This record gives sequence, structure tokens and C-alpha cells, in this order.
Amino acid sequence: MKVKLREVHSVFAWTWHIPKESQDAHAETIDDNDGDDVCGICRASYNATCPGCKFPGDGCPLVVGECNHNFHVHCIYRWLDTATSRGLCPMCRQTFQLKKGLAINDSQISKFQELRNKQWQTRQQEFGDQQDPETNPLEDQDDPMMDQGLIVR
Amino acid sequence: MASLPKRIIKETERLVSDPVPGITAEPHEDNLRYFQVTIEGPQQSPYENGVFNLELFLPDDYPMEAPKVRFLTKIYHPNIDKLGRICLDVLKTNWSPALQIRTVLLSVQALLASPNPNDPLANDVAEDWIKDEEGAIKTAREWTEAYASKKDQKSTN
Repeated sequence: MKVKLREVHSVFAWTWHIPKESQDAHAETIDDNDGDDVCGICRASYNATCPGCKFPGDGCPLVVGECNHNFHVHCIYRWLDTATSRGLCPMCRQTFQLKKGLAINDSQISKFQELRNKQWQTRQQEFGDQQDPETNPLEDQDDPMMDQGLIVR
Repeated sequence: MASLPKRIIKETERLVSDPVPGITAEPHEDNLRYFQVTIEGPQQSPYENGVFNLELFLPDDYPMEAPKVRFLTKIYHPNIDKLGRICLDVLKTNWSPALQIRTVLLSVQALLASPNPNDPLANDVAEDWIKDEEGAIKTAREWTEAYASKKDQKSTN
């Protein structure tokens, strides 16, 4: 028998490449998972977009935290930009930092560094009349060197 | 009005399909960000057998900002004032966008089970609570019976 190929339709699928340990950490913390991993902030799939974007992919990337919690860049950035966040991960309340050495995080490093510096400045301005005992200045002042991976904790 | 974020739709659906025991939350038909809430008083607390009405509003910035929650039913509790405002960390400084309507309401219910007079919102109630805990608990029971009785709720609805 002879088969003649007349046409080929290629179909592609893609997903973000998330390290294994981050996937596992995530599975325990999200409870309204429809079998698809969702962003802990907007509850939309990692491979879909944050609520503000129309097209998934490079325009609405994902970042992985040092704590292995993942979010749409736009979601976590909006959160960290609020005063309430105190720079903490929404899931585990540790200081949110980008995980080092991951391709998907690389393009976001400078953006997060900028945000961190901005927060640091705002906080220092506030210390003059800061009365909230819950804000521990020592804990909040992250060494910017640490973010560049120069110091290993 | 801007369309409702998917997350709010998902949360609302789940509140209906998989409700939290002892808690109901229904969105208002004219404003899907405004919920009418009822919370049953926890067992073995002075609020036992009471059903408390609350309102919950999701601000435009939700989930970056915490929901606004307020008691509508009068309640005698050191962390809830005359206007029904609630002193609860997750509604203020400890809010996180990983929390949601159901977890916030569970925290409110837990607050009923463990009043904290050392971090008061209603100062007079807290003072009573510290000076004469037994008496304060008795008052809380009486208020529950007078204002949050299940029978009354049913007859008025």
C-alpha cells in the first residue's frame, strides 16, 4: 500500500517550564484547583493570563519565588507594590524574592529590584513617624546585595 | 461598571456549590461585589445558637485589598464595635491575596469562638470582659438571644 501525504497541519502546545519542587509546593496550598495549576492571586491558570492581559505567553509571564510559589508577574508585582504586602509572598508570608538561576525569572530581575528599592525608600521615609510595632525595620531592610545572588542564605 | 473579575465569579460559584458549614454568603443581585452573609455562632461560645447577619463588600482592588466586612446584627464582643466593625488582623495588616471570601469568614467565625479583650475595638466591652469575664459572657449570651436568635431571623425573612 502506498500512502500519499497531501497536507500536514502542525499543532503546537506550550506550557511554562516550572521546576518540579515549585509544582509540589504549590499543590498543597491551592485548594480550588480544577486540575490545572493556578496563580494564587488571580486563580487563573499559569498558562493563561493575569486578569489584565489578553494574550498568554511572553506578554504575561510567570515568576518563581525563592519560596517555590509561582505567580503571574503582573499579579505578584501589583501585590508587592501595595503597602499591605510588606514585600511578603501571599502564600507563605516570607519575603518574596525571585528564585535564582531560572530562565523564566531572568528577564524580571531588574523590574523586581526596582520595586524593592522603591519600597525600601518609602519605608525609610515612614520610619520617622512609624508607630506600627509589627513592622520590624531590621527585617524589612533587605540587603540589595542579597537579591543579586551575591550572598547565599 | 467594569466586568466582574473571573476570580470573584469562581469564588461566588464555589460559595454556593460547596458552602462552608455554618456560613452563608450570597451576592446582591444588583451588585455582585456586595454579599449578604450569615454566620452561626460557634458551639460552646456565648454566641452559640445565634445567627449573625453581616455584609461583605469586595473593593475594586480586591484581591490586592481585603474585603470589607461588618456585622449588621448587634453583638457583645470585645473585638466588634457598636457599628459592627471588626478588629481582625487578616482584614487589615495581615491580608494576603491568597486569602479569599470563605477563609475570611471562617476567621470571623473563629473570632467569635475566641474573643481577645487585650486587643479591643469596643473598649467598654473589653473592660467588662477583663474585669468580670463570667458576667461579660452572660451579657454576650443575652445579646445573642435578644438580637441573633434563629427563630427571629426566620420569622422576619
